[in-house]
Amino acid sequence: MNLSNTLTYHWNVNILGKSVLRYHRLKNTYFKPAKAKWSAPYLTPPLNISAWTKELVGRHYLKGNFVNQTQKVVWVTSGAPVEFLKALDYYILYPENHGAVCGTLRVAEEICTLAEDNGYSKDICSYARTDIGSMLSGKTPVGKLPKPDLLLACTNICQTVLHWYRVLAHHFKVPLILIDTPFLYDEAKDHDIAFVKKQIEDAIPVAEKVAGKSLDFKKLKNITRYAQKATYLWAEILSRAESRPAPISVFDQFIQMAPIVELRGEAVTVDFYAAMLKEIDHRISKGIGAVVKEKKRLLWDNLPIWYRMRYLADFFGQHGIVISASTYTNAWGELADFIDAEKPIESAALTYIHPILNRSTGHKLKIMTMMFDKYKLDGAILHSDRSCKPYSIGQLEQRERIIRHLGKPALLLEADHNDPRSYTEDTTANRLSAFIEMLES
Amino acid sequence: MILNIPSRKSAIISFKEKNGNIAAVFPIHYPRALLRAFNILPVEVWGPPKVDRSLGNSQIQTYVCSIVQNSFSFLQAGGLNDCDLLLIPHTCDSLQGFAGLIKDFIPLEKQVLTLYLPRGQRQSDLEFISNEFRSLYHSLSEITGLKPDSKTMLAFQIEEEKANDLLKKLYLNKHTLSLADEEFYTLIRCREYLPAEEFSNLVEEALNNNSTPSSSHIPIMLSGIVPESMTLFSILNSLGAKVVADDFACCGRRVYPSGTSDEPFLRMAESIQNSPPDSTRGHSIESRGKYLLNEIKRSGAKGFIFFDINFCEPELFDLPILTEILKENNIPVLTLLIDISDTISEQIKTRIQAFLELIQ
Repeated sequence: MNLSNTLTYHWNVNILGKSVLRYHRLKNTYFKPAKAKWSAPYLTPPLNISAWTKELVGRHYLKGNFVNQTQKVVWVTSGAPVEFLKALDYYILYPENHGAVCGTLRVAEEICTLAEDNGYSKDICSYARTDIGSMLSGKTPVGKLPKPDLLLACTNICQTVLHWYRVLAHHFKVPLILIDTPFLYDEAKDHDIAFVKKQIEDAIPVAEKVAGKSLDFKKLKNITRYAQKATYLWAEILSRAESRPAPISVFDQFIQMAPIVELRGEAVTVDFYAAMLKEIDHRISKGIGAVVKEKKRLLWDNLPIWYRMRYLADFFGQHGIVISASTYTNAWGELADFIDAEKPIESAALTYIHPILNRSTGHKLKIMTMMFDKYKLDGAILHSDRSCKPYSIGQLEQRERIIRHLGKPALLLEADHNDPRSYTEDTTANRLSAFIEMLES
Repeated sequence: MILNIPSRKSAIISFKEKNGNIAAVFPIHYPRALLRAFNILPVEVWGPPKVDRSLGNSQIQTYVCSIVQNSFSFLQAGGLNDCDLLLIPHTCDSLQGFAGLIKDFIPLEKQVLTLYLPRGQRQSDLEFISNEFRSLYHSLSEITGLKPDSKTMLAFQIEEEKANDLLKKLYLNKHTLSLADEEFYTLIRCREYLPAEEFSNLVEEALNNNSTPSSSHIPIMLSGIVPESMTLFSILNSLGAKVVADDFACCGRRVYPSGTSDEPFLRMAESIQNSPPDSTRGHSIESRGKYLLNEIKRSGAKGFIFFDINFCEPELFDLPILTEILKENNIPVLTLLIDISDTISEQIKTRIQAFLELIQ
């Protein structure tokens, strides 16, 4: 790192970029032009906190544009144990989050096509195709993605990530750390947890070598503490949807979950969610719901359909339906009790082996059943996501059991989280209309 | 040469007549010797191809691969009724979902056991596999009431290693055998259900029947998960090609080397751990490419065909880079994607024919 690089980085990120992003946040928070233009009468305007989310996410990607000059970069899977990487001062990029940004901004199809043109089948995960297409072409809506010095794939969300990261490792010629988390059909066995712990321990010297520094355990403990605090706050926020009307919908949650995924372990993330909780409590005290006239409440299962979020929010809002709970957003809050800052490695092993996607389909049904009870739900939408087999296999049986055992209607909605070519608007609208009729009858 | 290869069904009946139990085992890797030590014959389920899939469609989405679709339909149709237990190794996300679905939602009278195979080749992975095998031992012990000792398990492992050595010899001598490709692969694939000792006898018989190598065929290498439909081989032969090597998950990727440890679980783990590179076991694409190039060199293959299954992510991710590696080494490559229930279409035949003409 030379002086010129450092100055360029600080000027662009910490002075110019920070000022512009802060200005936009303050403008959107206090002058509320977005709310003035709000055109969805069925939905309450977005939370004020959204302006802060944009600032946080915007700054993270802005930093990514220049960070190769000043910091080591690691690309990781969304459910990876990142605390030790953060303690080693890595800049952490989540290709799945970048994929979601591309999906939301509706550029994923074009980028996926670039991967397909290079031989990657349309049958592989659309996040992976988005990432590989971006890697091969340099195309991204965030300016530029930093090149990784290290890769870390954790199999606790799927096996796909390992296949995907092997492609990245081949392309970037950098070390790939694998944290392999045995799938839990039942309870975790002692040797499952010991295996994950050993891998995290073995990963540390590899990450230290690339970072050129040693791990500071005091720092690791602090980061783990922040991660736990933010996770608890996120879980609290989701629980507030028990209120009637629900102050937030899953469409808010899908957007506001960005910091818990990609800025986990930072003090600012704790402050952010504390502020968000305060705003939500304010909404509750005023009786403000995410949907203006809430009549029914639904569960969403699986990843969002990123490129049709607004359409779906409007569609449900028009019918007075709030989708107030989701297995997907819940996954980022439900593991807080496993985290123990005093035992950062042991607790990481325990935490990161237990995500919903690393557990059986029966476990997912138990979580859904619990959510039906907790949030007093009237039905469920199960997004059958062509790009996410671990989440989707079992949904037909889950749907059947929701109908049969809980006596609630449930709809299987065929789509793909990032590739709009696997989504048909007319079919979706017809199916949703029929479902809503049934719900209202 | 005509080998008298027993069918799956007759192998099951024969083993049951000797008071043995049958385990239906799903792809790909598992410790055969451990099952045999409990007097259980592993009979593998790779689909099968000819199944009424309507039974599975109501519970598994259409974007899941045909091996899982067919396996589920086969199970629902009663195709596994003769089996006493099911063993489902964790091979991919789809088989993971399949196992979860069966364990959690499908009432079966038989036990469903699972096995996690780690995706690394590190010491910690080796230790983990050994522990998984120990855990499997306890489950099998609970089911059968048996407690085979280390000596018994080692004896079965050594029998399996003998069969594996013969399998390797069979591959190395393929060009000298008087077997057409379909016969050769029928022999290789009876390893999926025959006891090791019976398989070894058949292989020895085949190795004793040599013929003059034919030089008129175009030597090619195949890769994929499973060669279904098996008519692929007769079609290749009729179009002037001869398969000289393969990288099929059910065939060439399971030429397991012998273990070295005296501890049976570790020895079984070593054998699987050191087998040829496999996308489902997390080997790097470079190591797979290197292995394929070595096999091409050894066998003299002049062309390479990927014969893969739709929706098979482990294979599909590797295809572009493997193709690039092969092409950089002047190996012509053809990629065919199929469904295991499909017959080989005229379109595929035409593509193979055009590919072979290109090589000539």
